[in-house]
Amino acid sequence: MKEAMYFGETEMGKAIKLLGQYRKKAVILAGGTDLVPKINYYKLKPEILVYIGKLGLDYIREKNRKLLIGATTSMAKIAASKLVARKAGALAEAARQAGTSAIRTAATIGGNLANASPAADLATPLLAMDAELLLRSDKGKRTVPLKDFFTGPGKTVLRPGELIVEIAIPPAKGKTVFLKLGRRKAMTLSVVNVAVRLEMGGKKCQDARIAMGSVAPTPLRCLRAEELLKGRGPDRALFAQCSVEAMAACNPVDDQRATAWYRRRAGTALLARALAQAAGLAEE
Amino acid sequence: MKYALSFILNDLPADVLVKPTDTLLDVLREKLGVVSPKRGCDTGDCGACTVLLEGEPVRSCLTIALTVAGKAVETVEGLSQDGKLHPLQQSFHEHYAAQCGFCTPGMLMSAKALLDKNPKPTREEIVEAISGNLCRCGAYEEIVEAIAAVASGRGKEQGR
Repeated sequence: MKEAMYFGETEMGKAIKLLGQYRKKAVILAGGTDLVPKINYYKLKPEILVYIGKLGLDYIREKNRKLLIGATTSMAKIAASKLVARKAGALAEAARQAGTSAIRTAATIGGNLANASPAADLATPLLAMDAELLLRSDKGKRTVPLKDFFTGPGKTVLRPGELIVEIAIPPAKGKTVFLKLGRRKAMTLSVVNVAVRLEMGGKKCQDARIAMGSVAPTPLRCLRAEELLKGRGPDRALFAQCSVEAMAACNPVDDQRATAWYRRRAGTALLARALAQAAGLAEE
Repeated sequence: MKYALSFILNDLPADVLVKPTDTLLDVLREKLGVVSPKRGCDTGDCGACTVLLEGEPVRSCLTIALTVAGKAVETVEGLSQDGKLHPLQQSFHEHYAAQCGFCTPGMLMSAKALLDKNPKPTREEIVEAISGNLCRCGAYEEIVEAIAAVASGRGKEQGR
């Protein structure tokens, strides 16, 4: 086994060149909260570690009304950002509930997406807000909508040598709500999480987004359930029906955190609750 | 391949040769003899290895050592000054907040990170701050009380 090498570049161009040079051998390191357990516990042996924490990708800003978040921005920074709270409150909420303070200090938004856990907490609010990812490699740049990014557990459309550079969130129309159910309050992966966005016009729903996590091989949008809401008024019976429809699009598994049976029931209830909150219906 | 790593450890410069996959915990415990951070799980779950990096709590077991180059790391070894315990240490002692003691270094550093930023936290904020630190003896009540006592000025060793 060859001795591992480490690169902590400070220039984007150099990092992209390295990633292009080593391609599949290169393992990208940001906060390390998902990668390092694989090294310590699952005996992953990276040959080339490329640290991207010094590339200047730690920023939150607004441009042309879009919210732009650099890929190595920490969950702690996202949770504390007034701009994120104002423009993408559900994302701030998901970041605030993720892990615990010592995890949020290190964990990054780009890493949460690139790791492609079905339970990635930042994925569902970003799906509900139509986020796009800016990717860069030695072949150039491209933009991928988050809804087309995940292809399976731990799998994405990222090509060898390609890096997530930035997450762009268009101005969110309507109210977005994120709810997470875990085994306990802190330091826990989601049993199920949901993010919904309802755009109301008068008394009718003009547009809707429903995203669910930890109930399928990837975080996903539930398109048929979204369609059910369009042109209809906010109504608990409709939301219950919509939640059943959404769960029909999911494929939960049994694991150490919950059974598929439980995930279906809890997910249906959690989604109905999130829809009622987004529509401004009072708690039952 | 080994790389030269320089960082600031408890206000003093530290220089050490490390491998790319060495974690900060590996380096502290096995190369620098700084053994207050404990290796509980090595996967980030237990919190016993918590140290401060630039004043923020991190898991040293999840931190690739080379990424702390030039940065300031604090451990329990840097808490006491001139042979005098830090108010948090004194309060943990007085409140019997260490039972077996394995979680104590992580608890202390999480508590220090909280109080450095928020000297008068609510009970909820204290609980939140140590939510990632597991105590398998179940001494949480005493730990929360020890931190609260420092925050409210009820610790005996105040004003340092």
